[in-house]
Amino acid sequence: MTERATRAADLREWHITTPVTPDAVAKLRAGDIVYLTGVVFTARDGVYEHTLKQGHEPPPGLCELTNVTMQSSPAGVEVSPGVYEVASLQATAGFRYAQYMDAFLEKFGVKLVIGKAGMAREVYQSVFQKHGAACLSTMGYGLGAIYGKAVERVRQVYWAKELGISEALWVLEVKELGPLLVEGDTLGNSFFEGANQEINRNLEKLYQGLKQPIFRRLGEEQEPGRELF
Amino acid sequence: MPTALDLIAQEAIYRAAYEANRRAAVAVPLDGLRAYERARDGESRPLARYVLAQMVDNFKLAVAEGRPMCGDTGLPRYYVKIGNEAAPEGGFVALERALRQAVAEVTHDIQLRANRVHPLTRRNPGNNVGVFAPSVDYSFEPDADWLEITAVHKGGLFGTDYRMLFPGDGIDGIKRFLLDNMAAFARRGLSCPPVTVGVGIGGAKDQCVRLSKEAACLRVQGDRHPDPTVAALEDELTELGNKTGFGAMGLGGDTTVLDVHAEIAYTHTGGTPVAISQFCHAYRRCTARLYPDGHAEYRGDPQWFTPYYRREGIS
Repeated sequence: MTERATRAADLREWHITTPVTPDAVAKLRAGDIVYLTGVVFTARDGVYEHTLKQGHEPPPGLCELTNVTMQSSPAGVEVSPGVYEVASLQATAGFRYAQYMDAFLEKFGVKLVIGKAGMAREVYQSVFQKHGAACLSTMGYGLGAIYGKAVERVRQVYWAKELGISEALWVLEVKELGPLLVEGDTLGNSFFEGANQEINRNLEKLYQGLKQPIFRRLGEEQEPGRELF
Repeated sequence: MPTALDLIAQEAIYRAAYEANRRAAVAVPLDGLRAYERARDGESRPLARYVLAQMVDNFKLAVAEGRPMCGDTGLPRYYVKIGNEAAPEGGFVALERALRQAVAEVTHDIQLRANRVHPLTRRNPGNNVGVFAPSVDYSFEPDADWLEITAVHKGGLFGTDYRMLFPGDGIDGIKRFLLDNMAAFARRGLSCPPVTVGVGIGGAKDQCVRLSKEAACLRVQGDRHPDPTVAALEDELTELGNKTGFGAMGLGGDTTVLDVHAEIAYTHTGGTPVAISQFCHAYRRCTARLYPDGHAEYRGDPQWFTPYYRREGIS
């Protein structure tokens, strides 16, 4: 694990290899930048359902190989039977998967979850902290070419037939996959929740003086400053 | 009747549909590139500036390596403008077949993610083609013998919403809707800001949703509606969107909204249906104009909202 400050934004930048050590994860702080080298595997709706609800075991050897997961389905194709390539890569919105995290981190022994936009701070405090895990977010979100270029090889794709190619479990060899933002650290901090406080103060001012709608909508959130998940 | 010589060949239609789709996935249109560069250069927050710089780098890398700029294909779709004198070989059924074929081939050839699945069974055919997929919208243009095929890849999960407002809600109602839309979807950057916002005002419910999407995806940065009332609203809403301070990725920054484009349609005297769509920073579109001799010109500006399409001059 090496550390250096980036030039652009005075951010702390870590270069980590997988499987990640508990020590490396514990050093990460919300707002740091991470680049990963090694192996990551993908999991989203399909894999969570398949393993946690239907009880299928992780593919043999996977948990020894890596403890880093990405909530993603790569833009990739099967170029010949069983051989896959990835052109572009990023993560999907992670808050949808908060409900699975406790069982998933336990079952797969995962220490780093790479998603889009993170989850609520309560999830870091009640689940991630217990497992000594941190939550990273892809940056910008549309940096598909940059993240895709970091994929050196597709080692294996599991459950493509059962789950479809966009929900399958991909095992990717990556080199300097990043930049990734530390969104939730092992102290239970959420970087976005810090940013939200200032934005909510702006919103409060902007709403002031605007008339209430004549016809309200039933069953929806009325406090715009709150997170909707 | 057009003669065989005047027909636009099927093969040329397929090639243009393929190429527009491929270019949309890989190469950001120039107006988008310049707008993101401006946002980066003008950004006062270091972290937001860092993120914007990554976005611009990603655009350039995608072109240099022929990679899709975004790992999420979104929902690839087509907008087809048909000159009144244009005649596609094989008719419009052949044209639609060519569009579907092009989506499947581009998905395979440049390794787009196969996004389109059955909405209930979640079955994935693996080629972004399926029932009503790709979606195709049409418009017409007088005194033209060409066809224009615009491909758009738009992110699909966050940013679009609809609301029935009433005349008494006034401009406040639209502003409040925009703030609600930003608070819901720009938070944590779910809709991938900086975004280009389309606002569809009036018509019937489905019309305003369609218009909002076209306004977001098919007009270039800085473009203003010819109706001064609408243009003034575009300025006002752009400023309002940026005052939220969500910024790139929702981390706090100066540019949340690159531009707001509004479109209107005459509506029911008792209501003001409004829809908002956000076009994410994977700003993906390309237009091909196809002439009867088979040659195609590619460009970044779809020129979708022509005076004829907007029914300008009707009062």
